Amino acid sequence: MLERVIQALEGRPGVDDWLVRRVRAESTQYYLIGKVPENRRSARTEVLEIEVHHDHPSRQGAPSRGSASVMLLPDELDRAAERVDEAVFMAGLADNPPYGLPGPATYPQVLVADRLLLIEPERVAQDLADQLLSAVSHEPGITLASAEMLLDRHVVTLRNSRGISAEQEDTSLLVDLVLLARDTATGQETEAHFEVRRRALETLDLAAIVRQQAQYARDTLRAREPTTGRLATIVSGDALQSLLTGMFISPLVFRSAAQFKYQGLSPWEIGASIYGDAEVRGDPLTMYANAILPWGTRSAAFDGEGLPGRRLLVIEHGVLRQFWASQRYAEYLNVPPTGEFGNLELSPGSMAFADMWEQDGILCHVVAFSSMTPDPVTGNFVAEIRLGYERRGHELQPIKGGSLSGNLFADLAGARLSQETVFHGHYLGPEAIRFPALTVSGG
Amino acid sequence: MTEPALAPELEAIRSQLPELVARLERHAPYAAVLATSTSRLQAQVNNREERVSEGERSRGAVFTAWNGEYLQEHAIGSLLPGELAGAADLLAREITPRPRYPAPDPGSPLEAHLALPVQIDPSARPARDKLEICQRHHAAVRDLDRRLVNAQVTYEERFEAKVFANRTRLISQSLVRIRFRIMLFASDGQTVRHDWIFRDATGGLEIAHVSDDDLAALAAGTVALLGAQRIEPGFYDVICDPSVAGAVAHEAFGHGVETDMFLKQRARAADYLGKRVGSPLVNLIDDPTAAGGYGSYCVDDEGQLAAPTTVLRAGIFEQGLTDLYSATRLGIPRTANGRRESFTHKAYARMSNTFFAPGETPLEELIGGLERGVLLRRMSSGMEDPKGWGVQVEANVGEEIVNGRRTGRLFSPVGITGYVPDILASVSAVGNCLALDGGNCGKGWKEWVPVSSGGPHLRLRARLG
Repeated sequence: MLERVIQALEGRPGVDDWLVRRVRAESTQYYLIGKVPENRRSARTEVLEIEVHHDHPSRQGAPSRGSASVMLLPDELDRAAERVDEAVFMAGLADNPPYGLPGPATYPQVLVADRLLLIEPERVAQDLADQLLSAVSHEPGITLASAEMLLDRHVVTLRNSRGISAEQEDTSLLVDLVLLARDTATGQETEAHFEVRRRALETLDLAAIVRQQAQYARDTLRAREPTTGRLATIVSGDALQSLLTGMFISPLVFRSAAQFKYQGLSPWEIGASIYGDAEVRGDPLTMYANAILPWGTRSAAFDGEGLPGRRLLVIEHGVLRQFWASQRYAEYLNVPPTGEFGNLELSPGSMAFADMWEQDGILCHVVAFSSMTPDPVTGNFVAEIRLGYERRGHELQPIKGGSLSGNLFADLAGARLSQETVFHGHYLGPEAIRFPALTVSGG
Repeated sequence: MTEPALAPELEAIRSQLPELVARLERHAPYAAVLATSTSRLQAQVNNREERVSEGERSRGAVFTAWNGEYLQEHAIGSLLPGELAGAADLLAREITPRPRYPAPDPGSPLEAHLALPVQIDPSARPARDKLEICQRHHAAVRDLDRRLVNAQVTYEERFEAKVFANRTRLISQSLVRIRFRIMLFASDGQTVRHDWIFRDATGGLEIAHVSDDDLAALAAGTVALLGAQRIEPGFYDVICDPSVAGAVAHEAFGHGVETDMFLKQRARAADYLGKRVGSPLVNLIDDPTAAGGYGSYCVDDEGQLAAPTTVLRAGIFEQGLTDLYSATRLGIPRTANGRRESFTHKAYARMSNTFFAPGETPLEELIGGLERGVLLRRMSSGMEDPKGWGVQVEANVGEEIVNGRRTGRLFSPVGITGYVPDILASVSAVGNCLALDGGNCGKGWKEWVPVSSGGPHLRLRARLG
């Protein structure tokens, strides 16, 4: 199929550059409601994406390049030439400054495929379910509401007109689990809902996750609304990952992207502080775009256009050192092409997690948000506290409800990062961050 | 008005599907198949670039068998007859009978092709027209203020065609979803702010239009946000615009009445069937037949014909939203809410177009009656908490109101949080308009399906932060 498509592209009028990406995917899925299976399913797909680049004079007569993608599905092979012509037509409509495609490169060896997930996904799914049920049975007052286990295998093949020919196989697994805690005296019930994405079984400690989430569910039974005010706040664990990485795109990733610099949406400059005029009173941030992190869920030997994966220093001690850039935006901004961002890696800070608790007055510690989606453009955030703790001296009170708000860029200027680090699939960095003051809207 | 025909690749295999279902039912008490074909085209223009391109396309089918205890499914990314037969046979071999629960009801016999109407058929217009629509709107808005650093205009069309078959039903449907979005970015050199107009609906190219007046208001509003502040946290009297009201409907109560959550013991609403959960002014509806709704469809992904469901009537919880599995296990009537992100995903109970029914109070009367409060506009995100009955909704803009007048003071962003029954009970007036806002809704953090939510303006009391 791939060769037929490449034949259709080579020498086709209007095709000045091309890229073909074939993705074959297999998915094994197991769903539980309580201890009872709800659904056992499998899925198999294959798709071929053809990207065509077409050079033509712009409407103003300047040199210009347009690009367009079309998809070719397995039952459409006889339409390959027709689909290429459709892509050429669409690419001819768009006028953009010229740019090139990457050429061949040496690709790194990256750990992205777990052998067990490749060869025995059904057995792994069953084992995960058994482990989960066993772990839950050891937690007093806790039952399993539901669990979902999705085990995926992808094979990505990439070819382009500049000579790239590459293939990578990867695996991923997702476990979505909901635990219920019940107060037998009052009949009150609460839940803890957690989703974990990993590439390999060895990076998934399901028993530890169940232990922690069970404790969260039990603590939620005792939680009350937080105190309103500007409070010293620690954000840790899953809550910290969501604050730093966002649900769709991290503000840190957005502002360090050459694409968004080119579009006038990032105020950051190379060599300048990412905090603007704000005085840095905390641990200055050092950030890597790490696309080769072992078992990172966003790791890859090569990215979507064939640039090799790498570990790139983006921010050093609070100063922007480099934009991450695809080939196109690298050429537009005259910076080196780096490939896709990959996983977010932050260097550890100067403060031990245990020392973060010193505080006169109330200290707020958030471990779970309902949904944290910091605005990638502004860095503003506001999210409901799903579970946290208020510490007053030696007293620790679980809290839930209300919201935590601030601005990621402004508030990071004063933040202290923990010395301890954690790995969360696509985040490697401090386990906790302590902010001098964030706004809590509570009871 | 025209109605899109069934995609030829589905027409070609439509008549084959009942036989494949029959083959599966030799091994299982219930079986079904859903075959789908989707295609997308996207055009985008911003200050520095433009692009028109095909988006994600897919063709495939999912075979479902009930083995007496749970569902077994096999999905395949092909509509070739031989591949479909092979997938059905593969599933047939894997079926493990486990008689434990009653089998799903296949429904009354029905064979039909259904479609949602389109005024200007996008498939009859070349890609050039769609790029030109973006270019025209972009040219009209980009220079309205020197502080606008970028304007992004996006058009997306998504053709969806599906055929569902079980032993009593063979139903196909075709529809087109359009997303037309204008997003402006303003900067004063230090701060960047953004605001948007989204026109997401089912229909045709007629949806992709924003008037010059609306563009001017958007530009002025985006620039004004450069002076916006963070709101002082606390409880406020609030007027929600339809998009924010819709997010409250969707997040506060909609997710909590998806009955798979009942089965999982995750929904507090399960204990409130027939009981009061909100002000008598509150009526909440989920309606996949809402004209032009971005979340509209004719039949759900499990063969149930679309029909409205009244979730809350005068503040009393009347009915939940079901998928086939939860309705069967709970023994409750089905509603047309069994939906899949695609054929590779399982079906869940999902919302369609979810909205508060309009009341009688004009907006100016709502504002005039507010001594001190905030008008919240443009929902930007939200999250459900069916077990804890908490709610989180984020609005991009809050506008201060004092003594019944807008002061011009703006807040951005503004988060609403609270306890669902408290928020619904605090509704003290309901506006007389109705607008739906389209978007994609996840179940937890995945399983994205097109939906809309909305309503009239609502006056209520809530905690802001």
